[in-house]
Formats: sequence, structure tokens, C-alpha cells
Amino acid sequence: MNTGFSSLQDPGVPPHSPFEASLWEALRQVIDPELGINIVDLGLVYRVTSEAGVVTVVMTVTTPGCPMEHSLVFGVETTVLATPGVQGVQVEVVHEPRWEPSRMTPEARAQAGIR
Amino acid sequence: MHEPSLLQAVVPRPAMNATTSQPAGPKPAFANAPDVTIPLRFMVVGVISLLLSVIILVAHPEVLTSYHYNQHVVAITHLLVLGFGLSVVTGAMYQLVPVVLETRLHSERLARWHFPIHLVSVAGMVWMFWIWDMKQVGHFGSGLAVGVGLFVWNLVRTLRQVRGWTVISFGIASTVFWLVAVIVAGLAVSAGKSTYELVGRPDVSPLLALPLAGLKATADFLSRFEPLAVMHAHAHLGVLGVFILLIIGVGYRLVPMFLISDIQNPRRAWASLWILNIGLAATFLTILLQHPWKPVAALVVIAGLALYGAELFAIVRARRRRSLDWGLRGFLASQALLIPVALLGLALARPGLVLTEAVGQLENTYGFLALFGVVAFAILGMLYKILPFLVWFVAYGREVGRARTPALHEMYSTPLQITGLGFWVAGLTLGVAAILLANTTLSRLTALLLLLSLLLFLVNAGRILSHLVRPRTQPFSRPNHPVLSTL
Repeated sequence: MNTGFSSLQDPGVPPHSPFEASLWEALRQVIDPELGINIVDLGLVYRVTSEAGVVTVVMTVTTPGCPMEHSLVFGVETTVLATPGVQGVQVEVVHEPRWEPSRMTPEARAQAGIR
Repeated sequence: MHEPSLLQAVVPRPAMNATTSQPAGPKPAFANAPDVTIPLRFMVVGVISLLLSVIILVAHPEVLTSYHYNQHVVAITHLLVLGFGLSVVTGAMYQLVPVVLETRLHSERLARWHFPIHLVSVAGMVWMFWIWDMKQVGHFGSGLAVGVGLFVWNLVRTLRQVRGWTVISFGIASTVFWLVAVIVAGLAVSAGKSTYELVGRPDVSPLLALPLAGLKATADFLSRFEPLAVMHAHAHLGVLGVFILLIIGVGYRLVPMFLISDIQNPRRAWASLWILNIGLAATFLTILLQHPWKPVAALVVIAGLALYGAELFAIVRARRRRSLDWGLRGFLASQALLIPVALLGLALARPGLVLTEAVGQLENTYGFLALFGVVAFAILGMLYKILPFLVWFVAYGREVGRARTPALHEMYSTPLQITGLGFWVAGLTLGVAAILLANTTLSRLTALLLLLSLLLFLVNAGRILSHLVRPRTQPFSRPNHPVLSTL
């Protein structure tokens, strides 16, 4: 799986269970309206973990104070809650480590015209 | 280590909605932004005012080619700076200040009260300038001052919530300071041009006599200064202190954000704002006093602008996003126009400059390029970034993750935008020629080009606003997202 942020996964957590893979897939439904690209390919999602059906998403935004932050968090909550097996969701927005365009997939970088 | 800045409480899975089979889901916590109708109503008034200004220019092309110290030029200038500039800036600040400073607006209620006061006052002021009834200008101007007072109080209370000063908050605070200064100066000017028949009459109530005496004292004080110098000093407070400083301060936040870049040299950015503030204070005083040090003050302002230009250039060069969208191109082009405006300002600051026809034409060119070139062009460029965002927020903020929502640039026509910006640039170029040649035919053509540009902008604004009444969401299909990588 090409996520571009595997180093940010907790070291002891296996790469992805089918359930977590379905969560990553669901998160691709959340699209940043400024760039028109989903937040997974943008590299905004740092970590997705789950415990007893409660999902924790650690994510960032392209710049601190991004005006779209609350919309994106809302989108993450909505889409994760719509995933079968999810009982609750918690979203943490972090600014460290800071988002860098290098976290984007090459395809996303090409689409957004970002080097 | 991750440092959480926003930790949401666990949102539990809600019960399924029986009619839609969709979970009711969480509610968006757009914590910092005020109700979007507040900025939108100011912006709509702003755009209508700009349109009216240009329509009046089409009907009265001599406004550009005649000397600017006449009632019609003053009326149109105030329609442009108060009706368009101040309205858009007010709306944008109500929306953007809480967002860029990551805090809440102190009071939405005050902002709601501000709007009708602002609308009535600006309309009244412009009309009274047109018929040159300065006493009524003063009355409507007092209404404007009340509205600005509510705005300033709201912003000051909002800024007080900010921990630590940034270059952006300093730029906004500077703007607020100069906004108060220009309103006070404007009221003083209108007091100076009014007559006070009731002062000293025994039948006047003491409640009225006191403020009248104060106004007459203001008028007597201002009579020591040359009227044109007073007007020019007032104009510099408004254009440089309110609009250009705000464009610079907010630009330090928005340009890096849109280009995925950073401020490259924070000390240079801070210095640009400090020097501009000092230069503006010196400019105001030296113009007012017709002091021989006017060029020195102009050079201080130019030094601040040069630092800003260098920082803006460095931000653009360091951008990670290669392509510049047309809204930003328009904004950057408007900032490049600061160069001829600054040079003209320096030339016109020469001590002992005699007012000849040629000097008057240069002064008109200076004002035209500053207002239509730097300020209006920058605002039009940024409106292409701000307006789609505001509308998207209302129309699609609750749809993210539920359905496919349009990207911001899909909400308007880019070819129309490019054509419109092209007409604006052509209008600016022709306008300079019209003023320098004192040619009213060229002046009318200039106004028509600017009008065409605005009509195209209005078509695009209509497209953007139509998303409020007819949202364009699409259900997710399989695959339910733009696939850019493979599992």
C-alpha cells in the first residue's frame, strides 16, 4: 500500500488489518476543496488506529490555521462513522511533524502542480 | 512526538436515520468562523458599489481627466473606498481575522448591527458629497464612525485573545489604528467645511451648543492648513494606512497559504510593517504641514514597500505549488503596481512643486493607479479566493465525506476570470493614457473596459453564489474518490 507516511505509524502496530484498510479507504472520500485531492493522497492522515470499535485518526492540515480544518475534521468523523464496525471516532489534529508536500503521493503532487 | 492542537472528543456512532438510512453523524465544529452571511452581505454591498463607481465613470468620463478636487470626484472616490473597499475589507476581516489568528470573533451581534449602520452611512455620505452638502456628509460620516467604532471594538477584543504577536496580527492592528485615524481626520475635514450659524445664539440648547462649539473649534483649527493638503493627508491615511497595510498584513498569511510556502525572513516582514507605519505617520504630517521633508517621508514609505516586495518575491520563489491560479496572479500583478505608484508618489512629494496641468494629471494618475490598480485589483484577485471559500463553507461544509463536493476552482469559470482580469489590466493601461492625455473619449473607453471586467466578475460571482441555492454534490460511486494511488 502506498501511503507515503508509514514511518508515522506506531512501531508496534501491524501495517493494516482489513478493518483499518477499510478505514483508510473510507478516508479517501474526504477531499480538500482547495486542491481537489483526497486527504490520504495528500498525506494529511498520519495514523489510524482502532480499539474496541473506537477509531482514532491522527491528521494534520497543509498549514496551521487552515480555514478548511474544521470541514476536514467533520468529513473524517462522518466518513469513519459510516464505516461498518465503527462505534466511535476521535480525531486529533497535530502540527508536529509539520505537513510537507513530500508526504503526498507522486500522482497527487502531479495533479496539484506541487513540487 | 505528535503535539495535538485539536483533540476532538470521541464522537459516538449515532442511531441510523430511518428515512435516509444514513447516520445523523457529527455536526461540523466550525469553531472560529462567524456566521458566513455576515461577511457575505458586506461583500455584496462592496461589489455593487464598485459596479456603481464604474457605471458613474462611464456616464461622467471627465471625472478621470479633470482635477480631482471637485465634488463628483470626491463622491466617486468615497463610493470606491468606503462602498467597495471598506465593505469588502470589513466583510473579509470579520471572516478571516478569527481564522488566520485561530481565535473567535468577539461578538457576532455587533457585526450584525454594524452592517445596516455602514450601509446607510456610506450611501448617505456619497450622495451628500455628490450634491456637496458637507453638513450632511458630517452627519452620515458620524454614522459611519459609529459603525467603524463597533467594528474596531470587535476586532480589538478579538485581537486581545491572541497569544503573542505575529506579523499578521501586527498588520491587522496597524490597519485598525489607521482606520480610526482616517475616520477622525475625515470627520474633522467635514467639520472644517461646514458653517456654524447657531454658535453663540442664546436660544440654542446647551446640549447642542457644546458639540457645536467643539466642531467650530475644529473648523477654526483646520483653517490654518491648506485645504488640498488636508485632503491629501486624509487620503494617504485611508489608502496606505487602511488598505495597503491590510493587504500586506493579510497577504503575509494568505499568499504563503495558497502557494504552500512560508514567510522567508520574518525580520524583513516585521521591518516592512514597522517602517510603513513610521513612514505613513511622517507622510501624513509632512503633507498636512506642506513640510520640505515630504520626500524623506516618501522614501521611508518606499523603503517599507521595498522590504515587502522583497519578502513577497521570496515567498513566491520558495513556493511548493508551481502553478499560480489567476486570482493570485491578479493579486501579485496589483502588488507590482506599487512600484509605479511609489515612484509617482516620490515625484509628487518634491517640495515647492507648483500645481500645473501636468502635475494635476500626474496626481490623478497616482490616485487612479493606487485605487483601481493596487487596491481594487488586489481585492478582486483575492475575492476569487475568498468568495468561493465562503460559499463552499455554507453549501458543502456538512457534506464532506458524505458526497463528492466540488473543488473551489470548479465553482466558477476560469476562462471568464482570465478574460475579466485581462479587461481590468487593459482598462488600467488605457486609464493612465486617458489621464495623461486628458482625453475623455479614452476615459470613457477605460470605464467601459473596467465595466466589462466587472460584469464578467459578476457572472462568475453569480455562478459561485448559485451553489448556495443549488448545491452540486455527487454521490460517491465505486471507486468513491479520485484514485491517485493504488492499494
